[in-house]
Parts: sequence; C-alpha cells; structure tokens
Amino acid sequence: MVEFTKLQKYSTKEFELIKITDDVREIVANSKIKNGLVFVILSHTTAGIMINESLPCLERDIEDTLEDLIPLHKDYAHSHFLPSYGAIGGNAPGHLKSMLVGNHCVVPIVDGKMVMGMAQDIYFAEFDGVQLRTIYVEIIGE
Amino acid sequence: MVIDVHVHPAFYGPICDDKNRLLKRKQVMGYDLMSPFPLELVEKQMAFANIDKLVLLPEDTETIDGEIVISNEEIKKLIDLDSQRFIGFASVDPNKKDAAAILQYALKDLNLKGLALYPSKQHVYPNDPALFPLYEICLEHNVPVTFDAGLSWQPNTLLKYAHPYLFEEVAVRYPQLRMNISHFGFPWIVETAAIILKHPNVYADTAGVYMDCPEQFFSDIFQKMMGSLWIEHNIADKILFGSNNPRFRPARIKRGLESLPLSKITMDKLLGGNAANFLGLEG
Repeated sequence: MVEFTKLQKYSTKEFELIKITDDVREIVANSKIKNGLVFVILSHTTAGIMINESLPCLERDIEDTLEDLIPLHKDYAHSHFLPSYGAIGGNAPGHLKSMLVGNHCVVPIVDGKMVMGMAQDIYFAEFDGVQLRTIYVEIIGE
Repeated sequence: MVIDVHVHPAFYGPICDDKNRLLKRKQVMGYDLMSPFPLELVEKQMAFANIDKLVLLPEDTETIDGEIVISNEEIKKLIDLDSQRFIGFASVDPNKKDAAAILQYALKDLNLKGLALYPSKQHVYPNDPALFPLYEICLEHNVPVTFDAGLSWQPNTLLKYAHPYLFEEVAVRYPQLRMNISHFGFPWIVETAAIILKHPNVYADTAGVYMDCPEQFFSDIFQKMMGSLWIEHNIADKILFGSNNPRFRPARIKRGLESLPLSKITMDKLLGGNAANFLGLEG
C-alpha cells in the first residue's frame, strides 16, 4: 500500500531550519499503513530535507558551516539572465547548499509509529527564502 | 519608510484564477517558469526585507498583444485587499483611441495613484504629441508617471522607443509632471544620470539587474559607469528603490543597493524618502 500527502511550509528568512518531525509524525499516525517506510521528499532545488539533532548551537553551526563553504557573495556562473525564467539566477548559494544537504530522508514505521533515535529530528532546510515550499510525504508499507 | 516603486504583480494569487489568462500574461511579459503565490507570501517577503510599501504596476498593451495582461481593475482588486501595503498605478495603451478616457476612469473612479507606460512594448515614443493628453490628465490628478525605459526583458520590445533622451522633451514641456525613468535607463546609465541631474521633476529607479548579482551590478553602474560620488553629492534626491519583481526579489535588490558605500541619509532617500516625494505622499 502507498499513501501520498503534501505538506506546505512558509519560510520567513533566507536561511532557516524548520523542524517538521511533528508534521510527519501526525501524517504517519493518521495513515492506514502500520509497518513500512515514510519518505519525506522536497520538491525544490534550493532547499533541503535533513535529519539532525535539534539544538540551537548545532543549528547555528550548520548555518555557519554551510555559509563558510558556500558564501553568499561569490562570482557564481548562475548569476546571469535566464530566459527560461525571465529572471536573473540570484540563488546559486541555495542550489549548492541543497546539493550538500540532499532533498529527502527515510524513516521506518513500526506498529504505526516512526522509529527514530532520541536525538533525531526531521528538518526542512530553507536556503533561498522567503518562499512557500512543498514537501511530499509518501508512506509505503502494509 | 521603505518603498519599492516597481513591482509587476503578475503572479499575485487573487488575480491568477484564470489559467488561460495567466499563460497569456506569462507569454507577453516574458515570464516562463514562474507560478502564482498567495498574498501571504508577499507579506512575509516584505517583512523579511523590511519593505513597507509596494507600487503595483499594471500593463496594457492590448492593441499589440490582443489582451490587457494586468488590468487597472486587477490592480484595484489588490489594493482593496491590502491598501496599507500596496499603492496602485494605472496603465493605458496609448494606441487606443479612448486612452484618455480610460486613464481618467482609472485615476478618478478606481482611485489609482499614477500612470505606467511601456514605450518600448507599446511601440510609441514618449515625446509623441499623441501622449500629451495623458500627461495632462496626470497633472490634473497630481499623479506621477513611470516610464519603462532602457532595455526591457519582455519580448517584442524595441530600445529605440526607450532612450532616456526621449523623456527630456516631456520633462521640459511638463515641468510639474513627476516622472520616473525606470531601470535607470540601462544601458544608458550616464545619460539617465544627466537627465535626472538637470530636470527637477525627473527621477530614475533601480528596478532590475541586467548582469551578475545585485551587489556586482550596482557597484558597476553606480560606482564605475558613474563617478563614485555622483549619487552622494549630486543626485541623492532623484533615485528610487525599485526591484522589478517578480524578475528579482525585492530583498535582494535592496541588499544590493545597501552594499553601496553611501551615507545613511542618502540611503534612506533612495529606499523611500525620494519615493514619497515622487508619489506625492508628503506635502
């Protein structure tokens, strides 16, 4: 059996880590599938989905490290007019941070509940805000 | 107060219900892979960028494109939904025989606060006498005119209609008419600087980036193509913050402007003080 749900989230800053563990947990709780896997998949290319520990110090380290690796200001080739959009590509750092973080995570479901380590949380990671983002939650199992 | 004087609300949700109309709008305005979004997102983006007001520009090129892609009525609808954040301009295709009547209706009955003209798209010279009645109506209502000037990213646009010098004759003929040469007349940056330096009634906005990122582009045009002190010492009162959204996010254009080595007094003028004068919000 497969169940598919869409989540929508607003970001309010250019870089923002938004915990969505409870959103996913609620979808799993309401699912008919009791044993299987839940996939959390982002439908964008300048943001990410990741699992990490929810501590303010770590969130700061994640932001600072990504910023060090991929600075806001650099001579990015993407910064030119894109006829396919009718706009200048102004979000190269978002694309590159997304590449590092990835666009999905997978969590097992046992007896109707997500099985996660005690330090784990699911984050939607915005690298190109402020935007309205769509996240797919697909549950596969029985 | 921070005011973005150059926003095309092509994808604002409340005016995007008709899919065929939206497709036509995208084709005419040269937006491809963009999608509608709710006004709630506009609020959040303004809050993030610390922008207080947006000037929303309609676009009437009906005699050329067969349809008004953003109508005055649609702008009025958006203003009614959020009159605190939005200031609405009117647009009229000067090639229409009833252009003056349409403008009168938009300013008097719809209570719109300015006129947006697109000479390169409408294939008219701004100094064509046929347009003079429109300018006189703007004077009658004490509202300004924003001219789409210089290079337009929209298809079927011709630079020959949009050189900054073409606006000088209008500025001289109507010295009380407040005018905005948008896009800073790119690529004619120095020519635009000359016009706004000379004529008290003429402003120029910063709407858009034509190459590179906002920080690089504004450094190049305002610090290298122009003398590094031209803004600070000469035309600080004549430049308006404009983003050309949706092509560019207002937050990024604003951040590019704020990276220029200007005094706070001058930056405050660029970000909103000059716009208040241009729009007639003060006095």
